[in-house]
Amino acid sequence: MNRPKLIRREDLEGYAFIAPWLIGFLLLTAGPMLASVLISFTSWSMLSPPTWVGLKNYEVILSDDPLVPTSLWNTAYYVLFSVPLGLLLSLALAMLLDRRLRGMSVFRTLFFLPSITNMVAVSVLWIWIFNPEYGLINAALEKVGIVGPMWLQSETWSKPALVIMSLWGIGGTMIIFLAALQGIPDELYEAADLDGASSWRRFFHITLPMISPAMFFNLVIGIIGSFQVFTQAFVMTGSVQPGSEGGPNNSTLFFVLYLYKKAFQEFRMGYASALAWVLFLVILFFTIIQMKLSKRWVFYEAGESR
Amino acid sequence: MTNRAAALLAFCLIGAGCGGKTNDGAGEIVYNSSANAVEIQALQSELPEFARESGVSVKLNPFSGQEKLYAMIAAGQAPDIFYTNAAVRDRLAAEGHLLDLRDVSSGDPFLDRLWPQVVEDGRSVDGGLYSMGNWSFTAGVYYNKDLFDVAGVSYPDTTWTWNDMVGAAEALTKDADRDGKPEQYGLFIPSHFIEVFEQMNRTPIRKNALYVSIPDESAEVYRKYLDLMDKGIMPDLLTVQAMGMQAVQMLAGGKVAMLVEAVPNQGLIEALQIRWGVAPIPRFGQKPPSYFRSGSGGLSISARTADPESAWKALKWIIAGASIYQPNPVLRDADFVGGWEERYPQLKDSGFRDVWNLSLEHNGGDLRSFVRYSSWTSARILSLLQPEFDQLWAGRITVDQLRSQIPSINEQVERELRNDVTRRHWKPEFRDAVEAQLARLPQ
Amino acid sequence: MNQRAGLSRLKAIGRFVGWYGVLIALGIVFAIPFLWMFSVSLHDLAGVFADPFRWVPEELRWSNYVDAVSLLPFGRYLTNTVVITVCVLIGTVLSSSLVAYGFSRLRFRGRDKLFALCIATMMLPGQVTMIPLYIGFSKLGWVDTFLPLIVPAFFGSPFYIFLLRQFFLTIPREYDEAARLDGAGKLRIYWSIILPLSRPALATVALFAFLGTWNDFFNPLIYLNSPENATLTLGLNMMKSQVMGTGVTQWHLLMAASLLVMIPNIVLFFVAQKHFMKGIQVGGLKG
Repeated sequence: MNRPKLIRREDLEGYAFIAPWLIGFLLLTAGPMLASVLISFTSWSMLSPPTWVGLKNYEVILSDDPLVPTSLWNTAYYVLFSVPLGLLLSLALAMLLDRRLRGMSVFRTLFFLPSITNMVAVSVLWIWIFNPEYGLINAALEKVGIVGPMWLQSETWSKPALVIMSLWGIGGTMIIFLAALQGIPDELYEAADLDGASSWRRFFHITLPMISPAMFFNLVIGIIGSFQVFTQAFVMTGSVQPGSEGGPNNSTLFFVLYLYKKAFQEFRMGYASALAWVLFLVILFFTIIQMKLSKRWVFYEAGESR
Repeated sequence: MTNRAAALLAFCLIGAGCGGKTNDGAGEIVYNSSANAVEIQALQSELPEFARESGVSVKLNPFSGQEKLYAMIAAGQAPDIFYTNAAVRDRLAAEGHLLDLRDVSSGDPFLDRLWPQVVEDGRSVDGGLYSMGNWSFTAGVYYNKDLFDVAGVSYPDTTWTWNDMVGAAEALTKDADRDGKPEQYGLFIPSHFIEVFEQMNRTPIRKNALYVSIPDESAEVYRKYLDLMDKGIMPDLLTVQAMGMQAVQMLAGGKVAMLVEAVPNQGLIEALQIRWGVAPIPRFGQKPPSYFRSGSGGLSISARTADPESAWKALKWIIAGASIYQPNPVLRDADFVGGWEERYPQLKDSGFRDVWNLSLEHNGGDLRSFVRYSSWTSARILSLLQPEFDQLWAGRITVDQLRSQIPSINEQVERELRNDVTRRHWKPEFRDAVEAQLARLPQ
Repeated sequence: MNQRAGLSRLKAIGRFVGWYGVLIALGIVFAIPFLWMFSVSLHDLAGVFADPFRWVPEELRWSNYVDAVSLLPFGRYLTNTVVITVCVLIGTVLSSSLVAYGFSRLRFRGRDKLFALCIATMMLPGQVTMIPLYIGFSKLGWVDTFLPLIVPAFFGSPFYIFLLRQFFLTIPREYDEAARLDGAGKLRIYWSIILPLSRPALATVALFAFLGTWNDFFNPLIYLNSPENATLTLGLNMMKSQVMGTGVTQWHLLMAASLLVMIPNIVLFFVAQKHFMKGIQVGGLKG
């Protein structure tokens, strides 16, 4: 008789703590999400009442829209490169900045600068950097005797260009790693030094396990975020004509860019909502895999969290 | 600690409460504008006087965007006046969100002050008048006079032809080290200006068409355009992403001798510190000229406005009263060229007056009536057609291969449009007009 | 012996130079967008379009900064932005840390499912929930007020909840147990043990919340209407838009204003970093 009562008290306490989110979810998030599910079963221009079409949108997505596989592939490519490269680079930078050298606060600020620079304001700069003839990158490549590619104008190189651009903005990820690195007690390293452990050993046996919760966070967030990549492609690709975003030849037509164009340029919010839920399922699938795998490599000081 | 937290919370509550001026409606016309800082300051300073004279108070909402407009409409809070381009206008009109301006403007002498084309451009397929052009411009060839002098090429005249332009461009291209990468190119035509040449070559323009077609006149222009790149007198479209800034940069920096751009282009005028002139778009042989002339859309009034009369008064004031937009080129009675020459003295011997007057004399109309930019299928057509154009400019397909894609694009557009006709809540006039056209697929 | 000492000293110097070499090279690469903005902000409009672009203009036009600021009532916009940002900052840190504490250190039925739900809400692109959300806020009469921008922060944000949860999980349970034996309740453990131990993580969240709100463009654009309610980013955008579709942006003024808007970010980052740097330990074996 005592046990269930105790559990109930714990439950109540738990719900009380998560109440802000729970209430917010019910009031602000659940409604619009539910609405978008319903909208995905309709034909809706946003301008008049929707018409119910059942599973029609999903049928078209799965069988009859060649741009769905194209945009999925573009997105997968972007995720596949920007997430691992971003994680590696930001961890490397964080470890570099973790050293106690003079002037580190300046370097930390420098590395973080692109993350606080207004994306839209500097899009012109990026287009210039990637300009095949006058741009900074190809000028640098020419110095070492390489003829640079067409970057944003090339079907092959437009996605790598956007990946390279994303690497500039890893400041946030870097900061999270830095905060995690700072949390590793010196005693652990001192003990390892006494054992005469090599730097690689120290990295794999102390650093990596100790920052694994932060690594897990950055990985999951990185995947969720890159699957939804939008702004860069929206402002950087295509010409001044609306509708040309995602070029050349749809090589930077990412999934969310595609659904944006469907919704706001073609007035097909129903179809766009269905696309969004397909993407939701894709991201969910990869996140669940992450969660399952994480039990093997993420180490929590507080013990198994269940 | 707790006290401090309480104080902070109090701050938040106060903060959240402020900025709370909501629109209380009565007699106030809300104008959603994407105006920039200078325009907003100018408009704000004149609105009180307009209110005194007309009894109409206008509230300016300078933060606008397409997504926001649709959200406001979906929430039943459409602003009274807002900007629409042709594609958006047709959609909104079909679903009953726009006031037919014929209701408020019939018998109004104001319509006679506008160039007829401006009024015509505001009509949709049902014959209704759903927007009023608030600006207009043409296109021209800006050229660097110093580079022309050095090369000993005479400046273009008002009757020059495509071949004259190519000849000049050849003489103006300089590749001293002969590496195939000229230091100076004769010409640059951004790809989004190619329609201007199609129009000059007398490509038939079908207003409010639902389908795309690439007639022989257009195909000829594409071939000539590709030829410019093959000859090396125009930088490869691929090497230059013709985003506004970079195209202007090339002309300003002497990288190209001629550049096709909008006339007038205020930013270009302000940025150029070279000696420059502007010539009309060259003609094609003996064909009578047809100059591009366009508004960039227009102002529409919401069908839900509480006070259509006041909204119409405010709309007229924005176009013809607000001093920042005067002299407005949509008005027949305004001395547009004179006004701009006064504002920018460098225009005086630039050829601007000739370019402008020619575009009035041989007005080829608004390219936005061209299917790629108008009507409710344009977004879909563009998204299907643009990848093909990308490949054409990259030299991967030929003009004929591009043309062979057109039927399948039109079929797809037709299929989707048929769905819309049955599923969307369109006004009957629009449904009938679209259905009538659906049957007529071009060959 | 002496030689060897000299050699290792040489090695140390070499390594020292090496680290700084790497740091400076990377620093330049990462600072390029910023340096470019700074350079453009000191040109005149024609200089912006010059080819080749001169990184150091012949004449440094500091007056651009004065011109940029006098173009719009930036003082008003600054006040609005500060009010919104501070409110969001407080709301985010308070509520997200509470929720994260619940998800990381309490056991209750359905916890993991609810946490998964919390993460899942991030997976749906905002483009399709934007209109329903807008309709909701407009039904509440909150459009053209700061409420749609501020109030959601007080319900916690999944991103920060997840981040803080990860950090809270690195704090050993013994701390809670010890405090519990001392008779402390859950709220007390949260307030006087978890929060102080998580200062680097909280500082990170506060920083992100500040930057995210300060630089947010889309939400203010959607929800604010009156010019007097504008935030700094909306002000910047008004400098960008063009006169009747034919203007070219006044890049030099835009960049000057953008840099001024960025400065608080940089200063804040520079100052805040000491809070997530050494001296404060997260959940170490210390103590």
